[in-house]
Amino acid sequence: MVGGVVILILFALPFFLAQFGKSGEFWIWVTTEMIIMALFATSLNLVLGYGGMVSFGHAAFFGVGAYTVALLMKKAGVNMVLALMAAPCMAALAAAVVGWFCVRLIGLYFAILTLAFGQLLYMIVFQWYTFTGGDDGIHGIPKPEFLGPVNYYLLCLIIFIVCFLLMRMIVNSSFGLSIRIIRENLDRAKFIGINVRRYQLVNFIVAGFFAGVAGGLFTELNRFAQTEFLHWSRSGDAIFACLVGGMYSFVGPTIGSSVLIFLHIFLQQIHQSLVEIWAIFLGLILLGVVLFAPEGLVGLYEKLTGKAKVD
Amino acid sequence: MIEMTNDRMKTKHFILTIKDLVKSFNGNTVISDVNLSIPEGELSAIIGPNGAGKTTLFNLITGYHLPSRGTIYFEDKSIAGMQPFDIVRLGIARSFQITNIFPKLSVLENVVATVITHQKGNLNFVTPTTKLKSVYDRAYQILKDVGLADRPHRQSGTLAHGNQKILDIALALAMEPKLLLLDEPTAGMSPEERWRTVDLVQRLWEKLKITMLFIEHDMDIVFGISQKVRVLCYGTMLAEGTPKEISKNEKVIEAYLGEEVD
Repeated sequence: MVGGVVILILFALPFFLAQFGKSGEFWIWVTTEMIIMALFATSLNLVLGYGGMVSFGHAAFFGVGAYTVALLMKKAGVNMVLALMAAPCMAALAAAVVGWFCVRLIGLYFAILTLAFGQLLYMIVFQWYTFTGGDDGIHGIPKPEFLGPVNYYLLCLIIFIVCFLLMRMIVNSSFGLSIRIIRENLDRAKFIGINVRRYQLVNFIVAGFFAGVAGGLFTELNRFAQTEFLHWSRSGDAIFACLVGGMYSFVGPTIGSSVLIFLHIFLQQIHQSLVEIWAIFLGLILLGVVLFAPEGLVGLYEKLTGKAKVD
Repeated sequence: MIEMTNDRMKTKHFILTIKDLVKSFNGNTVISDVNLSIPEGELSAIIGPNGAGKTTLFNLITGYHLPSRGTIYFEDKSIAGMQPFDIVRLGIARSFQITNIFPKLSVLENVVATVITHQKGNLNFVTPTTKLKSVYDRAYQILKDVGLADRPHRQSGTLAHGNQKILDIALALAMEPKLLLLDEPTAGMSPEERWRTVDLVQRLWEKLKITMLFIEHDMDIVFGISQKVRVLCYGTMLAEGTPKEISKNEKVIEAYLGEEVD
């Protein structure tokens, strides 16, 4: 019910914002970015919240998706639909390779290895001038005529909803339950017949796939791809989004990501210099979350409204 | 019951056969040359002083540790070196000395997750678990069998210690094992809980007609319910026999039982 209303509002929003000329267009761009980043954060949360594995390398799959779209469209002249479909496949492939090594480790070691692989991919993209354009990135990616700001927003929203529902389906399936029980007690999971590593790897690949969708959409939104897309700090952003929104709730990362991006832009609108001390705001927010709302905004909401948590 | 048991004993078909099993950790030999054969359908106990290697033996059988040397056969299939999740699928399930459940999930979810794993495999990304009715029926059945069906939605980590240990056993049962290993099923329990658990173990054994092997320190329990007692001491099998034989065995008395048995 609430979900339906929110979706209706989200569909109406760009038409409303479009009334406000240039600044309206800017806010359409901001909300499109929010939608894409919410998808990215939700995909990370499959690994982080449901799988209990902290990955600092998730941006790599976002980046692989982004560069897949950029290279296919700019250099190979592939059309947008095919490029956007290739992005998650390439990202999943990258996740399969990286994940194959990483799921052999647990806890901190897993986190460090994902960081190492993520930065390795980042450095490859950074150094390989002839192919990826290095730190110049790839600019001027074509965008079909009809995809103005409103239409692109709607495209992203529809893809987001489809991916969101798919991921929710996965979380509620037998596979999703196995992932949660591995998080709860990895050793016991082995003794009820779960091949822990294999499930963690599949989960890692699924998460990478959806990160690739987000990366592809983000490239097409900005019409460029750049190395920062793969940088670990982007993984960090998604982790913060999960923490702030609440990683034990399915909508948590979406909420957290949207709140953080909105706050960032809001501060920018007040005064440019405030963005330079964004890290301080972020630190304060995290401090508040860790101390007062360890289950994020969703957890806080549930506590305040006295709603029983349905996991 | 006793006649039936005797019937099963007569065939002398061994469900588990361990030969010359050795396990060392960094040069410390914890299990040295253990030979052990468990007949199908037996309810037997392993006893031994602390550090005798009882839990290590269970860890070796269930694949948690790799043997340094030796062979383990389960129904004529060599299982030494196999992974825990493969071994449990062959039919060896276990419970743990230190309670080992999924504490944040509800009692029901614990069992449901296990039943799904056992019956369906988990590579289903589509069907919501709540729609798997047969799984829920089976899970309720198991909870009823062990006496935990009264509050299925309670978070399992908040159960009393005794009930958590019983849930641990329920998870093992959900795997429908042929051989069930119970590592100190009554550890840390109050006297009433103990006897309730012992009663449960015995009832399950009679009902399910499976082979059970348990580690226990309480001699009243050991001698009360087990058909055979095996004594492990410093990593070697010291003796094997009926409770009566064991309580009179000189070596056992000297090494372990001391003055407790008369």
